[in-house]
Amino acid sequence: MIEAKGVCLQYPDGTMALKNIDLQIVPGDMLYITGPSGSGKTSLLKLLMGMEYPTEGTLRVLGQPIAKGQDKGIRHLRMAMGPVFQEFRLIKGRTALENVMLGMRFLNTTHGHLKEAAIHTLARVGLEHKAFSLVENLSWGECQRVAIARAVVRKPAIIVADEPTGNLDKHNALNILALLSSFRDKSTAVIITTHATHLIEGEEDVKHIRMDNGNIHWERPRMT
Amino acid sequence: MKNFIYNIGYFLKETKTILQLNAVSNIFSLLSTGLIFFILAMVISGWWVSSQIVEAIEEEAEISVYYEESMDNYEVTQLMERLRIVKGVVEVRLVEEGEAYKRMEDILGKDAGVLTYLEDNPFNSFIEVKINMEEMNFVLGKIRLVTGVDYIRDNQEVLKRIENISQILKLLGTLIITAVGISTLVIIGHIIRLGIYNNREQINTLRLLGAHELFIAFPFLLVGMILTLGGGVLASALAAAAIKYIYAQMAGPLPFIPLPPQETLVSGIVIIVIFLSAVLGIVGSVFGLSSAKK
Ligand SMILES: Nc1ncnc2c1ncn2[C@@H]1O[C@H](COP(=O)(O)OP(=O)(O)O)[C@@H](O)[C@H]1O
Ligand SMILES: [Mg+2]
Repeated sequence: MIEAKGVCLQYPDGTMALKNIDLQIVPGDMLYITGPSGSGKTSLLKLLMGMEYPTEGTLRVLGQPIAKGQDKGIRHLRMAMGPVFQEFRLIKGRTALENVMLGMRFLNTTHGHLKEAAIHTLARVGLEHKAFSLVENLSWGECQRVAIARAVVRKPAIIVADEPTGNLDKHNALNILALLSSFRDKSTAVIITTHATHLIEGEEDVKHIRMDNGNIHWERPRMT
Repeated sequence: MKNFIYNIGYFLKETKTILQLNAVSNIFSLLSTGLIFFILAMVISGWWVSSQIVEAIEEEAEISVYYEESMDNYEVTQLMERLRIVKGVVEVRLVEEGEAYKRMEDILGKDAGVLTYLEDNPFNSFIEVKINMEEMNFVLGKIRLVTGVDYIRDNQEVLKRIENISQILKLLGTLIITAVGISTLVIIGHIIRLGIYNNREQINTLRLLGAHELFIAFPFLLVGMILTLGGGVLASALAAAAIKYIYAQMAGPLPFIPLPPQETLVSGIVIIVIFLSAVLGIVGSVFGLSSAKK
């Protein structure tokens, strides 16, 4: 569902954020992207979301080429993605419930029952009691759960979370990673970036790439 | 489409939120569009009334036909008959010396005293002929040829002048309406752009979630519509009050001015202003949206 061949990303100021990336992700994959800050993790996710275009190489996500002039296709692609942004990007002045419902409102596949689905998802992230709170009155961790609920409520093909472990302590970080991977199933891939490599060492059946300075190195499965 | 209908409640709520989040600037926008539309309403009213007056005066094109003083009553009656059958003549009436004197007294008002210095009535009786305005020149030519007619005094000069004035009014009106239209478009466009600018983070988030541009824009369009329509309603109320006041002021001293009925004028103005504000609201919103894109 994700196919990158020789992808490079150079920002207008000349920064080479990604260098000659090859990547293949199939449905049901769980991919961890680790690496120090500034290594290009967010840049890679931006490419997957169509927020940036490869300056070299080709990239297809769910069959959609990520390139200039593909606005309509990329918009449709985004509807099939479940992004959890690093800064969450919740809509202020609205309740948690309204934010989660927004994840579904404009999908072509949505038919009524938005509210039920949203409340159900809020319950799944353990936040149904905050459904009617404005998001600006929620804690950081609660906002994160609202953001996760908004991403998964639309039953996306790919869930993408950028640094969800943030500055969380080990216990909470593991909880969030477990929550996110619980949405992985045979048709849904989950991609998570984190700089906390030690958190994922024990995980089974996951893919793991380590980034440094715009290059990727396969940790699991090991490439020869 | 199904989506759209399902989301109407959401759009309305979003619109309310956007209006509330920038309440102060929205109130100012509403007031300024209201004032602009009020000016527009007053210009249109002036236009309407003046064209009504011109029309009324033109309808009552009146000329005075003077005859030879030597004619006796019978001959005058016969002359009137001859005038009556001229094509284009609507009404023929004799104004006797006494009435002519009285009319002059009325015109002079408090200065009528000067008339007492005159030894006898200097005014001649004459025949007042109402004619069809469109055939003015033709009828005048015909009447000149009728035997017994000495000379004619017509109000063509006055009519020409009124027509000129009404033409200038029309030109001014068109200019003002154009100016008001453009400024409304600019203001509304600007309001929409501001709204979009103030909410750019939210808009970007919606884009990242894959929302259609129309879905994103619709609440902003509604905001633009509400503000312009609100301005239109405000202007209508102001205009109705102003017209009522002006009519009350005019009724006493200027009873002979053929004003259109107040209700007709007010309802006409209200309809025009509301209609215009709706149209300008839509155009301005689209304008603001397209200029705010990226
Ligand atoms: N919009 C941008 N313009 C220019 N350089 C950028 C931009 N975004 C990121 N970079 C640079 O690209 C590199 C990779 O950044 P990023 O992908 O955010 O790394 P990470 O998410 O791993 O911390 C960094 O050197 C960063 O400074
Ligand atoms: Mg990052």
